[in-house]
Amino acid sequence: MTHISPELIHTLSLLMILTSFAAVEARNLRHSTVAYLAQALLICGLLFAYSTQNSALLYWAVTALITKAVLVPWFLWNATAGHEQETKPLIGFGPSAVILIALLAIMYKLTHMHAGLFVAQTQELAEIANTNLAVAFTVFVLGLYAILTRRDAIKTVIGLCLLENGVHLSLVSLAPTIRETALAGIATEVVVTVYLLLYIIGGIRSKFGTTDTFKLSELHW
Amino acid sequence: MNHSAVETASVLPALVIFVPTATAVLIFAFGRFVSWLREALAFVGVTCALILSVIIGYKTLHGEILTSFETQLYADSLSALLINMVSLVSFVAVVYSLKYMWHQVKEGGLPHTTTSGRLTAFYGWLMLFISTMIWACLSNNIIMLYVAVEASTIASGLLVAFYWDKRALEAGYKYLMLLTVGITFSLFGCVLLYATGSNLPGVGGAKGLLISELKLHASSFPITTIILASAFLIIGFGTKAGVAPFHPWLPDAHAEAPTPVSALLSGVMIKVAMYALVRTVTIFYPTFSPVAMFALGLGVFTLVIGDLMALAQDDLKRMLAYSSVSQIGYILMGFGIGTQLGIYAGLFHMVNHAIAKALLFLAAGAVIYSTGVRNISQLGGLAKKMPITSFCFFIGALAVSGMPPLNGFHSKLALFVAGADAGNWWAVGFGIAASLVTLVVLLKAAKNIFWGKESEAVANTSVREAPLTVVISMLILAILCLGVGLYPKAVYPPIKEAASYVQTINTSNKKVAVAENPKVGKPNDRSSKKILKIEF
Repeated sequence: MTHISPELIHTLSLLMILTSFAAVEARNLRHSTVAYLAQALLICGLLFAYSTQNSALLYWAVTALITKAVLVPWFLWNATAGHEQETKPLIGFGPSAVILIALLAIMYKLTHMHAGLFVAQTQELAEIANTNLAVAFTVFVLGLYAILTRRDAIKTVIGLCLLENGVHLSLVSLAPTIRETALAGIATEVVVTVYLLLYIIGGIRSKFGTTDTFKLSELHW
Repeated sequence: MNHSAVETASVLPALVIFVPTATAVLIFAFGRFVSWLREALAFVGVTCALILSVIIGYKTLHGEILTSFETQLYADSLSALLINMVSLVSFVAVVYSLKYMWHQVKEGGLPHTTTSGRLTAFYGWLMLFISTMIWACLSNNIIMLYVAVEASTIASGLLVAFYWDKRALEAGYKYLMLLTVGITFSLFGCVLLYATGSNLPGVGGAKGLLISELKLHASSFPITTIILASAFLIIGFGTKAGVAPFHPWLPDAHAEAPTPVSALLSGVMIKVAMYALVRTVTIFYPTFSPVAMFALGLGVFTLVIGDLMALAQDDLKRMLAYSSVSQIGYILMGFGIGTQLGIYAGLFHMVNHAIAKALLFLAAGAVIYSTGVRNISQLGGLAKKMPITSFCFFIGALAVSGMPPLNGFHSKLALFVAGADAGNWWAVGFGIAASLVTLVVLLKAAKNIFWGKESEAVANTSVREAPLTVVISMLILAILCLGVGLYPKAVYPPIKEAASYVQTINTSNKKVAVAENPKVGKPNDRSSKKILKIEF
């Protein structure tokens, strides 16, 4: 079993948080897509790093590379062609930065105090697993934050992708020996969901003339 | 588990998923080239699925548990009940679509340029939708259960947005986005169960993925894990089931989808999500009964919210959709009561509501088909021109409201008896009050649409009864509502058998209920005696 450097994991984890924040906060949708792509590559890097300890994760890493780092960014890139500027969000950069720091602190504290609730682990891997879970939950909540506070429909899809990334990252710590078929199912669904959502958003753009979700007001209580 | 049942390796569970999936592939591949082929394929595919479901149901009722791919697919009586419900309503929906969708696609649809392209897309996605729902009911792998439930969302996403107008697109976007976010929570719950379960002595590795194994070892789970996993599962599967406060997607999607799809969404899809919730969360009932109390509270909240919102609707399909929210509350109430009778009543109401609400949506679709109007206030006096639709709508309305001698009466009565028996009088009170509101809402709508003076929309157009296939499909469901209502004993055995696969709490001593053989029930389990009283 090859030893994983905790410094490497911490660096990759920190970069994961930063790319999440960049994907949420970039006002240019293509810049957001690039930030998402960077995050996808980081996830693949993390999975490859973990696969030295658990070879089952190698399959997960390759699947993530194809789905998260190739297909989803490609769909997003096409969907934003000619419509690169995001509709102004509900909450701006400053408050978002404060919220991010608070979230990270809470998740770090929670996972380091209560990780036993989620996963049984050996002492030597505890720090890595706890950090990984803290990052995963932060990315998850940031994705949820983006869905709730961004007005642009495409940005909400990017939020959904972050949310899914958070869950998938947590799988590394929670269920590293999960079967390949289950992993393939989970990964495929994300890609298809994103594709269908962007397809429908394309229809929304042509009918409503905008992707501002606040303008979707045909259906009321 | 039910110890009297024998696990048998069988191709049937795999086949009942494969047939509609293969049909979908054939429709996508060849549907555009031969005009009648897609309808013929859909009809044959769904008929085969129904026949296979009935065979599986028969075998499980006679003491077998059918498994495929080792035990990855697992058909016990509970799964069999669900797949029969899904196949039956799907069969009726496909028959209904044969003529109905020809008419509808003339007014638009997915961005295909031809009618043929739209119909091909419709039937292809419809068959995929049906197969994913059946898959969800048969999956014994907890992660694949999540995958199947999410796959049913994906397969129905474009069906919700099918008309491709502003309303449909908005509904489709909300549907896909909200359900995907919601269901992601359930993935957390499923993974948590697997992560904990696979580390328990005697489980280990891939066995930790199997719900049947997790159920056997649920008492070894730490309470904190149970609470966290249950919360995630209730939020996730509850969102898909339309449980309040996670229901806002439901009225939009159910109202804007083509009517046969609305019937499937309201009739069975939300029940499949409820099934997933029951399959996973109730394994903790014997260990940690507060989970059941939480579900009961949520169920009562849902039935009240759904009914109050239904009161305020003028759009016919939207009113029916809110009524579905209310009825899913009743079903959750049954599972929340948690006794054997409560589980039985919840399952019984699940089946009855699937039939009755599908009937109501199909009748509403027939009204819209003939008049082009969906606002209740713009309709009136339709009974003379559409007598069969009128009859079917009244049957459905009375059944959903729980009026005798229709099927809904028996399941609601069982729910209230179960609630009273478990000492949950407050829930029974809310349930009865909400039932009266349901009756008022649905009968008022029925009266406004079918009785009184003919409205302008009805008088000015050449309104007449809907086409034969539409009428036949409505009549099948109306007869079922009446048949089950008049002779409920016919459905007791499969429902009672299905209920025996769900873990229960024991209200008589507030302690752990027996997990060994829930089918028989303990001597001091008052709820099991109650089933006998109702039956005989």
